[in-house]
Formats: sequence, C-alpha cells, structure tokens
Amino acid sequence: MTGTPEGRRVVVTGIGILSAVGAGRDETWKNLLAGMNGIDHTTHVDTSDLPSRVSGEVPEFDLSTYIDRKGVRRMDRFTHLAVCAAGEALDQAKLDLAAEGDHIGCMIGSGIGGIGTLEAEFDVFFHKGPNRVSPLLVPMFIPDMAAGQTSIRFGLRGPNYNTVSACASGADAIGTAFEVIRRGDAIAMVAGGSEACVTRMSIAAFANSQALSTNNDPNTASRPFDANRDGFVIGEGAGILVLEDREHAEARGAQIFAEVVSYGQSADAFHVTAPSENGEGAARAMNIAIAKAGINASDIDYVNAHGTSTPLNDKFETMSIKTVFGEGAYAVPVSSSKSMIGHTLGAAGGIESAITVLSIVNQKIHGTIHLETPDPNCDLDYVSDGPRDLDIKYAMSNSLGFGGHNSSLLFSRYEG
Amino acid sequence: MRRVVVTGLGLITPVGNDVSSTWDSLIAGRSGLGLVSRFDASAYDHPIAAEVKGFNPAEVVDPKIARRIDLSSAFALAASHQALTDARLDVSTEDASRVGVLLGTGMGSAHQIVEQQRILDEKGPRRVSPFMVSHMLPDTATGLVAIATGARGPNFAVTAACATGGAATGEAAEMVVRGDADVMIAGGYEAPLQPIYYAGFNAMKALAEHEDPAKAVRPFDATRNGFILGEGAGVLILEELEHAKARGARIYAEWRAAGTSNDAYDMVAAAEDGHGIAQAMRLALKRADLKPEAVNYINAHGTSTPLNDRVETRAIHEVFGEAADDVMISSTKSMHAHMMGAAGAVEAAICVLTCHHGIVPPTINYEHPDPDCDLDYVPNEARQADVRVAMSTSVGLGGHNSAIIFSKWEDA
Repeated sequence: MTGTPEGRRVVVTGIGILSAVGAGRDETWKNLLAGMNGIDHTTHVDTSDLPSRVSGEVPEFDLSTYIDRKGVRRMDRFTHLAVCAAGEALDQAKLDLAAEGDHIGCMIGSGIGGIGTLEAEFDVFFHKGPNRVSPLLVPMFIPDMAAGQTSIRFGLRGPNYNTVSACASGADAIGTAFEVIRRGDAIAMVAGGSEACVTRMSIAAFANSQALSTNNDPNTASRPFDANRDGFVIGEGAGILVLEDREHAEARGAQIFAEVVSYGQSADAFHVTAPSENGEGAARAMNIAIAKAGINASDIDYVNAHGTSTPLNDKFETMSIKTVFGEGAYAVPVSSSKSMIGHTLGAAGGIESAITVLSIVNQKIHGTIHLETPDPNCDLDYVSDGPRDLDIKYAMSNSLGFGGHNSSLLFSRYEG
Repeated sequence: MRRVVVTGLGLITPVGNDVSSTWDSLIAGRSGLGLVSRFDASAYDHPIAAEVKGFNPAEVVDPKIARRIDLSSAFALAASHQALTDARLDVSTEDASRVGVLLGTGMGSAHQIVEQQRILDEKGPRRVSPFMVSHMLPDTATGLVAIATGARGPNFAVTAACATGGAATGEAAEMVVRGDADVMIAGGYEAPLQPIYYAGFNAMKALAEHEDPAKAVRPFDATRNGFILGEGAGVLILEELEHAKARGARIYAEWRAAGTSNDAYDMVAAAEDGHGIAQAMRLALKRADLKPEAVNYINAHGTSTPLNDRVETRAIHEVFGEAADDVMISSTKSMHAHMMGAAGAVEAAICVLTCHHGIVPPTINYEHPDPDCDLDYVPNEARQADVRVAMSTSVGLGGHNSAIIFSKWEDA
C-alpha cells in the first residue's frame, strides 16, 4: 500500500541543515549526539526590554559559499539560511541541475518570511517617510522568496511554491513535495523549511501570547517534557532535503539515505493557539500517515517529537502518542531536538525531518536534554539519558502549528 | 482516478462583494479602480487602487472575531462562507475530517503587522497584542476558516507571490484527487493596501499612472505603464465528483489540472522569453491530457506592466503555435486590478463562471494595439461563446508561475 497508482516511490538523496548547534549537517548531527545546548543569550537584536532574552541562533557561517555579494544584500536572512542549506543538500545529492532543472522543483516553508527586513523597513518608513522605503521590501519579505531565490540560484525550474502552516510549515513543504514527485510532476524536489525569527517583533509577539519561556537561563530555558517547562525558546535555521523519484535515483547510482513513506495532515478546527483536547488532531495526522504506509504503529521505532517545551504542547502531544500507539507508546523512544536548537517555527519540520533521516542513516538517536524533573503527564521514554544506538526501520517526525495544523511524516530505512 | 468538480464559489472583489455582482460588473466591463481612500496617500502623484467597497467584517463574521482579525482574514472568511452557502454544503453534517482548507496569500495579515509594529516602536514590546502571533501569519485565515466551519481535513496556506491563488487551488484539487479529502475550501485572499507596502511597490516603479483611475490598468494596450494593487478574496469549493453527485450538488465546472514552475531567472522580473510560464501551461495541458487547441479561453495574468503582457503573449504563442490566434484571452485585472495572492483564485473562479455561463469577460481599456501583443484579447466588450476549456495563468515575484485548467461540466 506504499505505492501510488503509478507506483512511484520517493527517496532522500541530499540533506542540508543550519541550526543553533551547527552551521552544517555533519556538525549539527555530531553536536546533537553530544547533547550540546545551542540556546544562548540573544545577540542578533537588543533584548534588554524583552521578556525573553535567550534564543537558538545559528553560529557564524560563510554566506559566500552559495550567495554572491549582491545576492546577500537582496535577500532576507531566512532566504540566506534556505539557500545555504539547499546548497549543502544539493552538493550531497549531485543531481545534474543543468540537464534536468526543468524537472526539479522547490518547496520551502516559512512561517513568517522576511520579518527582519520588514522591521527594518518600518523603521525607515516611520522615521524617514514613505519615499525612502526600499523597492526590495516586498520581494525580500514575502515568504515564498526562500523557494524563489533557491530556484534562481540553482536553476530549479520545476514546481515551486511555499507552504505556510505556522510551526508545521517545513513539514508540509516536504509532504507536499513528496506528493508532487508521486504524481509525476517532478523527478526531484528541494524541500524543507527556513526561518529567521530572532527579531524584536517576533520575540515580543510570541512572548506576549504566553508561548515563550520567560526563563532566561540558557541552560534550562528549553526543557521539553520536564515538569518545570514554561514555554518554548525561539530558534532560527533551515533544514532542507533533496527528495527524488526512487527510479531516477537508482538509475543514476545516487546514494540513498532513506525513503519517504507517507504524509498525514489534519486540522484541529479548535482554537487559534491551543491544541485540541487530548491532542485529537495530532493523533489523526499520525494515524493518517500510518494508514497510508500500510503499517502498524508498533512498526515505528522512533518518534522525533514536536516537543516545544510549552506546558500544553508536550502534554497533548504525549496524549496523542498514547492514542496512536496504545500500550506500545511506552516502548517507542521519543526525543525533542528543540531541547538543543530551540523552536525554529516554520523551519522546525524541515530541520527535524532532516534529523530523523540522519537517525535512520546512522541507526542512532539523539536525546532530549534538560529533562530533569519528570512530569506525571509526560511519562514516555524521552531519551533523557542521552544518545542511543537503535535499530530503526520506520521513524516519524511530528509538527504541530498554531492555528491547529498537524503534520506527520514517516520515513524508513531504504532497503531497495 | 478521482474527478474533481467545482460546486460553490465565493468572491469579494473591487467590483462586487459576491459572485453575482462581481460577474455582472465583469460582463458589463465596469472598472473597480479609484483613488486610494484607505489611507492618506497625498504624498503620491497618482494614488490609485482597487479597493473592496462597503465591506463590513462584522456583517459576515462574529463581531467579536471581526474586531480582532486582520482585514485579509475577514475577506477569506467571508468568501469561504459564501462558497459553502453557494455549494449548499454544511460541514457539520459531513465527515468533517474529509473537508479541508487550503487558501493562499502573498503576504498574510498586512494590517495587523503594521499596527503592532507601530505599537512596538511607540509604546514598547510589552504592549504588543497577545493575539498578534495567531493573527499575523500567512496561514491564519486557513485556521480561522477551519474553526468557523469545523473543517478538520488537510489545512495549510500556500504562498507564491502573485501566482499564489493558482498554486493553492491546484494543490487543493490534488488533495481531492489523491484521496486526502473529499471537499476542499480552496482559493486565495489578500489585503495589501497599507501605506508601507504601497510605498514598497511604488519604489519598485511598478505601479501604473493615469489621470483617470478607471483607465489606469490597460493590459496588452500599447500605452500600458504598470499594475494597480487590488484586494479581496476568491474561494472555490472543490469536490470529488461522486461525493457531489451523491448529495445532488449543482456542478459549475470540472477541474482538470494545474501546472507550476519557476523561471529560475530573477527575483522581480519575468524572463523575457517566457519559458517559465510556458512550462507551467505545458505541464497543466499534459496533466489534463489536452492539446492546446482544445483551450477556448485564457484568463491571462495580464498585469498591464510593459514586460508581463509582452512575455505572456510570447509564451502563449510558444505553447499554442497556430492555435494562439483562435484562443480568446482576457485580463480581468483591467477591472479588478491586481489582487496579488487572491488574483489566481479570483481568476480561477472567473474561468469557472465563463465555462458555466458561456460568456467571456472583456479586457477593458484596450485602445492602442501593441505589435508585441497581437492576440485576441476580447477588447472592451464581453463575448458570448461556448467555452469548453478555460485556463487561468499567474506569474509571481520570485519567478513563480502557475496555470490551471477547468472544463465545462458534462456528465460523461
């Protein structure tokens, strides 16, 4: 039942990540396994008058690897992150872009786009007047520009748009790109998420909606599933996968890292910020993905949780995992990458899908750090004892967004 | 293969606040353009826009919600309610997990962000609204429509600048085809008439100038000199054929296929040879299993910029060959202007109505032929025609292109 009517299967042939624990795939993975804390005092903006002063910023990286000087000025940071993560993934995939660019598309989700550019231009607008506003305001701010610029940079002329579903944006981009390949509209898709939201407006807005942790100790602020968790820590980054038609990848002898098995999506239709009672919507998305894969929940060896560290999310996500896995919920390891990289919003589904693929490749999972005080409502195996070797056939990445968007992506070890 | 039909429409446009008034205006060739009234635009020589008129969010959504939400979300909610009513579809009596929402927008909640940014600047971060986050994101409206209607199926937003509405409508239809939903509430919405965005577009030198606002948008005319910002929403109820038949739904038209692409050329300008939009049209035709000559009508992107209309004409020549001379092409932006992320959805709805009524809306303000634009643009007057296949094309900043095809409903 994994096949489509046309029988097309989709595999992962490239991975790119920029996160708070590493400006690159290998560094990110190594540091996740080491349990490194990527959360620190915020440096991008003045936070002295903000309630939250810690964040997960991406370490310094060399933009010039993929973007020329003119391009650097004409792109917001969320686009810088996207283009560089896509570059890393494409370098690994080694597709023939010159010959096949018409049939390679791009979908990069972002929750809010170039919010930093918008804030800077507001300053110009309010203090210097409308005639000084940059002609590039609109094209730098709009959230589709990560996909647009990535296509321009690498010559990707196939299907191209951006999906937005708040904190599930990156996951929906990967899920939608997977479906684009399955229906035969492209042979490969560059897909994932990107966000650069360590800005004053984002921090103020999330803080005032009571979503952010007000704990300004970087060593304990992001603590998913811990009884003392009090909100998420904002993070930035990008996670991009090269998804490819399996036959095309096989024919060109590409290295295949994992298979994308299925994608489930649902809406809570409940509340603009709070998840639905008992995590009903999240459970439904997981069940859709499992049913489409034609497997049982008990076949899943690892869950990379949304695990934001907000009181509500972690409680309801735990309930939803119990709904789906039944008694088996206690046997499946569940870890939250956000304990180390923070909540990268629209990028989260992209970064965490990439981490899930790396878990399959390495047959290892990273732990959930900062989990010290157990919460009776969160009583699963959150891998709080650090990284673990694990025999993984199927692994799931969950993303849940404000507005009640739920996405589950199911990946498997590629066995031909 | 599951077939998808259109069973309901909702429109909020500068030429009408529902489907029938919008359609009447389009057929009569009435312009919705005027001087900007939404904000003080006296700093500009030609402050023209196509504003939605007489729209009171509190009349269409719960007044408590109306106060809190962005104008863009109010447009989306109003058009979604219209479309569901038109389709006679009550989500509460359906399997709600099989009804989804996919709406596109270019920018999302423009007004909320501006208002809150001013508060942040003037009063400090602690005064920023606690509702800001949940109401500023581009997917806010899809969440609100789900909450208002109870639709619990697939739900997210699509953005592709000015190609958003076409991309969103196409992706929603694919969800029905692949069985993820039986009904999708799909389309696009936008409310970009905010001083800062207006300033940004003005700085791009992309906005049209004319003494008479009603004549500012002149697609394919030799004297065209830019586009004009519009606002509103277009929503289509896309329904699986057997589901629609089983409940005895009225069917407007059949969805056939969509194609999207990227120029991979420039972040602002379209590629001069039109390869990107041509590729999107070819993909849509291939997926619909149609030859170009089967297409009777193209609702063009036709923004009225010198570059767009020339490039689009070239792409139509490229894809249609000799058949290009026989296809009727109109740009309804001549009347409702450029509704950004809503444009592709509103124009998709117009294609559906064109198939349904057998009338093609005109391109108004067409007076001076341009040798680079030498096709049949249905100038100035609507035309009776049996439109069996209609295509809507959209081209966006960032190089995004979409083409979407509908056909006249015939039960076969």
